[in-house]
Amino acid sequence: MMRRFVADLHVHTLLSPCAEIEMTPSNIVWHAVQHEVDIVAITDHNACDNVAAALEAAKATTVTILPGMEVESKEEAHLIVLFEKMQQLKTWEQFVQQHMSGRLNDAERFGAQFIVDADDNFVAEKKEMLLASLTVGIAEITAQVKKIGGICIASHVDRATYSIISQLGFIPPDIKLDAVEVSKNMSVEQASQRIPTIGRFPIITASDAHIMDDFIHGPKTVFYIEQPTLGEIRQALLAQNLRKVVV
Amino acid sequence: MTIQEIMKVLPLKVIAGQSNLDKEVSGGYASDLLSNVMGQAQAGNIWVTMQGHQNVVAVALLAGLSAIVIAGGVEPDPEAVQKALAEEIVLLTTALSAYKVVGRLYQLGITGE
Repeated sequence: MMRRFVADLHVHTLLSPCAEIEMTPSNIVWHAVQHEVDIVAITDHNACDNVAAALEAAKATTVTILPGMEVESKEEAHLIVLFEKMQQLKTWEQFVQQHMSGRLNDAERFGAQFIVDADDNFVAEKKEMLLASLTVGIAEITAQVKKIGGICIASHVDRATYSIISQLGFIPPDIKLDAVEVSKNMSVEQASQRIPTIGRFPIITASDAHIMDDFIHGPKTVFYIEQPTLGEIRQALLAQNLRKVVV
Repeated sequence: MTIQEIMKVLPLKVIAGQSNLDKEVSGGYASDLLSNVMGQAQAGNIWVTMQGHQNVVAVALLAGLSAIVIAGGVEPDPEAVQKALAEEIVLLTTALSAYKVVGRLYQLGITGE
């Protein structure tokens, strides 16, 4: 039977240098329960060290955590990548680590990058500079994600910075995206009119939260699916088997 | 001034568009945001960028630009090279930084106007 799931497929934790310290995995899960968000994808910049804590924190709740990451391509476009299993994300993480700049973060200037456990305990500070482009392009990223079995969503296509549209002008025909995300700054209708090349992709909206207030009030996407899994979400994006997406 | 004349003074390597080097350059534009180039660059401009994606070629064709200069030692993606060769658009690379390329072009009298 098809059920209604509210999903936020783009949420940062305090691992992202630009996110507030309140964005701990357990706090995100707690607020997801309070505000009836059924599915939350944890998507930090170029890293995934807080996903395990989020999965742990959500264990005793009805919230489903999807393992993910927001990567920055060499064109400086941001892409959300999501996987069904933590193991797949770890495989993806290896690919990302092989293509990092090698620069270290300057917490004073860019913000701290904290790794925590499921109970908000400090574990470590991530040393690598996460807010930087990888050395691989969008085409290679999307191909690699597909190979591992994940999905790829172009982040905030309506924004003037770090979006596939701002960087490349239009979505290249050879890029296999599973969806595009429109940010809170623009309605889906407006975005479809202004950015014609996104029309051939499914559209989602997500909070891109870096602070809890944005997670609570920011845009979400409703999926009519049987189970809160990535496999079901993929079907909904393709409008297969009566699954569907409502933004 | 033609691209060929510019090449006498600037260390530019021809990747594609050998047959179009006699094209007149009307002015210049510099940006790595292709969305911005599509709206702002003028036909006949020489465009300085550090993006090496194949969309660079499509955008240059769309805007009717005279040449693309990929600066800072960036190697264009193979797809970009193929596309530029097929379209015979002038695609040049240089080890000079984008700042230096623009500065030298300006000295030659190629301004943004």
